[in-house]
Amino acid sequence: MQAIRTWWGQRFMQALERFTDPARLARGRSYANSNRIKSWQLKDGVMSAKIRGNTNPYYGVYKEPTYETAISLKIISNDDWELLIRQLGSRASFVSRLLLNEMPDNIETPFEALDLHLLPHNAKDFKTRCSCPDYENPCKHVAGLCYFLASQLDQDPFLLFELRGLSPHDLLNKLKQTPLGKALAQVRGQERVSVFTPVESYFTRPLALDQPLACDYKAFWECHKRLPEDRVNPATTHFIPALLIKKGGDFPDFWKQAMPFPAAMEGAYEAIRKKSKAW
Amino acid sequence: MGGFRLWIETPDSAKTKKQNLHPRHFNSESLDKWLKNCAGLKAIAPSQFDQQVLMLPTAQGQPLPCPELMIEMADDLLDQAEWSAWTVDCYRLADSPINVINELHYRLIFQGDEIRPGQDFLFWYYYTQSLKTLLQNDQFIPALRCRKESQKSPYEFHATWEFLSEEYETLLTEASERMPASAAPGFEAVSLLRHCAEVLLRKATGQAKLTQAYQQKMAGTFLPDACSPLTGKPWYTSIDSTLGEQWIKWRRRVVGGGAERPFQLALQLHEPTSEKPEQWQLVFLVWSRQDPSLQTPLADYWALKNQSRDYLLKAFGQDFEALLLADLGQAAGIYPALWSALDSAEPTGMTLELDQAFAFLTETAWILEGAGYRVIVPAWWTPQGRRRAKLRMRSAPSGKKASSAAKRKGLSMDELLAYRYDLTLGGETVAPDEWAQLVAAKTPLVQFRGQWVALDKERMAEMLDFWKQQGEVGDSLDMQALLQRTVAEDSDFEIDPDDALAAMLANLRDHSQLEAVEDPPGLHAQLREYQKRGVAWLAFLDSLDLCGCLADDMGLGKTIQVIARLLHEQSQQDRQPPTLLIAPTSVLGNWQKEIERFAPQLQTLIHHGANRCKDVKLFSEDLLDKDVIIVSYSLALRDAALLSAVRWHRIVLDEAQNIKNPEAKQTKAILKLDARFRLALTGTPVENRLLDLWSIFNFLNPGYLGKQAGFRKHFETPIQRDRDPVKSAHLKRLVEPFILRRVKTDPTIIKDLPDKVENKQYCNLSREQASLYEAVVRDVETQLEESEGIQRQGLMLSTLMKLKQICNHPSQFLQDNSPFEANRSHKLERLSDMLTEMLSEGESALVFTQFTEIGSQLERYLKTHLNCQTYYLHGGTSRAKREQMISQFQDADSPPAVFVLSLKAGGVGITLTRANHVFHFDRWWNPAVEDQATDRAFRIGQTRNVFVHKFLTLGTLEERIDQMIEEKKQVAGAIVGSDESWLTKLDNEAFRQLIALNRTAIFDD
Repeated sequence: MQAIRTWWGQRFMQALERFTDPARLARGRSYANSNRIKSWQLKDGVMSAKIRGNTNPYYGVYKEPTYETAISLKIISNDDWELLIRQLGSRASFVSRLLLNEMPDNIETPFEALDLHLLPHNAKDFKTRCSCPDYENPCKHVAGLCYFLASQLDQDPFLLFELRGLSPHDLLNKLKQTPLGKALAQVRGQERVSVFTPVESYFTRPLALDQPLACDYKAFWECHKRLPEDRVNPATTHFIPALLIKKGGDFPDFWKQAMPFPAAMEGAYEAIRKKSKAW
Repeated sequence: MGGFRLWIETPDSAKTKKQNLHPRHFNSESLDKWLKNCAGLKAIAPSQFDQQVLMLPTAQGQPLPCPELMIEMADDLLDQAEWSAWTVDCYRLADSPINVINELHYRLIFQGDEIRPGQDFLFWYYYTQSLKTLLQNDQFIPALRCRKESQKSPYEFHATWEFLSEEYETLLTEASERMPASAAPGFEAVSLLRHCAEVLLRKATGQAKLTQAYQQKMAGTFLPDACSPLTGKPWYTSIDSTLGEQWIKWRRRVVGGGAERPFQLALQLHEPTSEKPEQWQLVFLVWSRQDPSLQTPLADYWALKNQSRDYLLKAFGQDFEALLLADLGQAAGIYPALWSALDSAEPTGMTLELDQAFAFLTETAWILEGAGYRVIVPAWWTPQGRRRAKLRMRSAPSGKKASSAAKRKGLSMDELLAYRYDLTLGGETVAPDEWAQLVAAKTPLVQFRGQWVALDKERMAEMLDFWKQQGEVGDSLDMQALLQRTVAEDSDFEIDPDDALAAMLANLRDHSQLEAVEDPPGLHAQLREYQKRGVAWLAFLDSLDLCGCLADDMGLGKTIQVIARLLHEQSQQDRQPPTLLIAPTSVLGNWQKEIERFAPQLQTLIHHGANRCKDVKLFSEDLLDKDVIIVSYSLALRDAALLSAVRWHRIVLDEAQNIKNPEAKQTKAILKLDARFRLALTGTPVENRLLDLWSIFNFLNPGYLGKQAGFRKHFETPIQRDRDPVKSAHLKRLVEPFILRRVKTDPTIIKDLPDKVENKQYCNLSREQASLYEAVVRDVETQLEESEGIQRQGLMLSTLMKLKQICNHPSQFLQDNSPFEANRSHKLERLSDMLTEMLSEGESALVFTQFTEIGSQLERYLKTHLNCQTYYLHGGTSRAKREQMISQFQDADSPPAVFVLSLKAGGVGITLTRANHVFHFDRWWNPAVEDQATDRAFRIGQTRNVFVHKFLTLGTLEERIDQMIEEKKQVAGAIVGSDESWLTKLDNEAFRQLIALNRTAIFDD
């Protein structure tokens, strides 16, 4: 189980910790990884999962059981969403952050104005159920699923909207109607389609050409266009390391470390640049 | 995975029994020797030598030599060429290929090796060094390559890297259009270049040494794999492709909008107004990239109604708001204070406090600029507007040395001057106690006498200390130390603007400040404005006892500026000893002729020939009534004893690149000559070859650029091998005061020049040409008496033709296939020199001749000796070939070229405006025909000035007919006929005079 790195992921867990027995939470952590969670889905604001349980003769469970566990948050009504998204979509700081896949740190401001919360606030916000025989709620499976959900939030803060009852489709539609949200909707819309295909070769394969029949002496040795002049290196007095990486945000989905990705990459670039004599 | 291999072709065949072994190339032993001895490579493993089979153009069972070997090949040999496989010994570049290529290039270009780089090598040099720049700037990102052997097998993820920047894509396009097939025979350019870039990138990243702590921290991530040499093992294996999708998503975010934005986000800092003295304003603006004059504060944009925004969206693109917000968010990611400005639907900017503003100016502004934003700071913060703390130097009013210098109105390089110092801020004198208060100020930005100023307090404190030490006594510096002290832009020192020294230094720094001199009395010409400034510059340097290099572009008239300076000087002072002018043999006559033409009162002597004076005493008597002694470089060495016995007023080196080799005897002999002033002339950009530059400076101002070894270490190697921008700028500032180089493309020069500038180039006959010429003249004199009518006319015309052929080149007249070399014709030598200079400036030329036979010889000669692209158009050229040559020549992307044309075939109809130089190698007696030919370049579409160079040999019929044309031209433009027949109307005596040879005009080395 990796650490929850974003403030909103941590805030989500803190809410849970407020009303859950610490020992149970600790046990729940071990349920948060993929060999326990057999499958999961987020649909209609409900996060449900099939979780592999333990045999327990005390409860008469002799075969490894699979429990159905679900978490949902209190739904925000469509009318309220209408108001909220209008607010979010007219604040540049919200949209700019969300464009970077980050939750704006003052996200709760418009919610509080309506006496609502985006992040879970107290026990009443959570609705949980589990098919396990443990009567205590939340059980360790629920706790595990919460951890898992928090780590998913790390990577995609937009899941919170879904948990509060706003489907991705509705979110985009509502954003489109706000002055600045259009931009966000456009980018999110594109990101949803990612097709990944394996490649055949580690490096781009150079295309071999057939030997031309005619032998053109000049064309073989010389090129008609001249090479650019040899330039003095441009003076890079204020060079910013890893600038490209910084455009991708602090925690790309694939990056599981606690250190933000750009910071980690700065170290790598520096180590590479240091060996320029060996290039 | 591909790699680089190097092989060297030689002109000489080695005997070999092995079939298909290339007969002319370095075998691995010679390669090894060359790489170690000449190219300075150490440790080469035996395994780095191998053999490769290449498909090379082959004819008559032999591989055709590559163009760099400059071996003449008949056209039909090239037409016969077919592919054949040849085995060559190769050196395989293993470790650090990018650096090895740079090192080899440096040696080949700058260290004067016999081996020349091939086009393919130069291409790879350009490509790899361009990639190096991308590497240095982190313009690459990590990437995943995923393999999946079959439907059922897992996804294997391998870590790698990819170049990702617009520069990379531009480079690929640029390079793929410039790659000769020989650089990678058999491969398509773009895919090959991508492959090459990826391999080099992977090799470079594989060299990184991660620290142990870092390695541990990153365990499990792709980084340890990506930063060590390629193993072929996957970093991560998975049954699904989720990881790949995550990378794609991330990459898309890094790429951003992909295409370059049509606008640029700008942040402008305004200083506080008097109403709100605490508030600095940071304002957002948008600039259109297409139309930089279109800049709109975001506040204005938001204030517009939706319809009115459309107009701006045309310039900024329809995605403007999305991209703008992403940019703002990105900027806030770099500079988090911006988030507060974004708490609005219509962000316009924010206010900063003084310390925030200071941090913004000193740090954030640079970072944002580096990240692609435009940052506009108050004028007083820009390098031009910044008010700097300086120690102001005044030359001390008293002191023996200074006063004696003042009397002479000049400062020599080694004369000491005493200085006193003041403390100044932004040019205003500050009293020491006020200075101390500023140093003690709590904030780094203060208002000083009503204006904001940034203080470097540490430096100011040091200056105060310096002032305390020096203020009372003052110190002494010579001119050289003074120049070196004030050369750096951020120097702590400035010269008091009221001091005469300041005007002097300003004039040295900025030639355009000089007041032009009027045409000196006795000059038979009118100087152009820039030439007047040139003469003023020469006079100014003389007044300071400094020596300079006049390096104006070819055609701008260096000769006349020198002549004018000699006259100018004569009008100002008493008779001085003569000037010694050293020039290549091929231009000696031209110098004399030009002096005679423009300044007939200057007495010249060409010191040349077997009968020249060799006795010191007699020589110095000869000099008494002379103003200019003209001598060739070779005689300057041969008669060194004679010439160094004289103290010259001035030595002028024409084509000063002749002393570029400091080790040459000729250079050493010239350095020993004694003169009050020295002047170098050159038309080649000396600053490109630093050793030449040093050598010329060593002649002009010995010691100024230090010793040769030191110069190599401090400037030559860092600039030419490592392309160090700081060193390069520093050297430029050091030499700038001593070089006057005006280029044709400079708008202020263009303004002074007519669209067409005509010049005559006078050349001398070689001894061989002279004896051939005399033989023809003798022969015709007897025949002329005996012939009449048509026969007489025919004889005259054929004589004229023969003599003109001789004037061009002996081999043209003899038609005996004897060597067509420059040592037999000064005309050819001069043409070749001038074309070399012109090509080095990236310009193209037309060369007209009336003789077909010499046209083809010229083309071949120029192609092999100048190593440039040449074309030849004559009466027999097919229409298709003609069109092809013209379009290639006109293509602005092709290298500069020389187009040889026969006057008859090339004189009409075609447009060759790529050329801005036109050479008439021989004269056609009807100027209208020449003008028509000249107009090939001087036509609609020509945007530059056209320089016309007409060659003629001195002392021959060419010179005399030129005079006749000039005189008649002045009487009535069209008196001369369209062909040469008008010449045959001359009577025998006149004809004899016309063709007689003036023997004094013969020169031989």
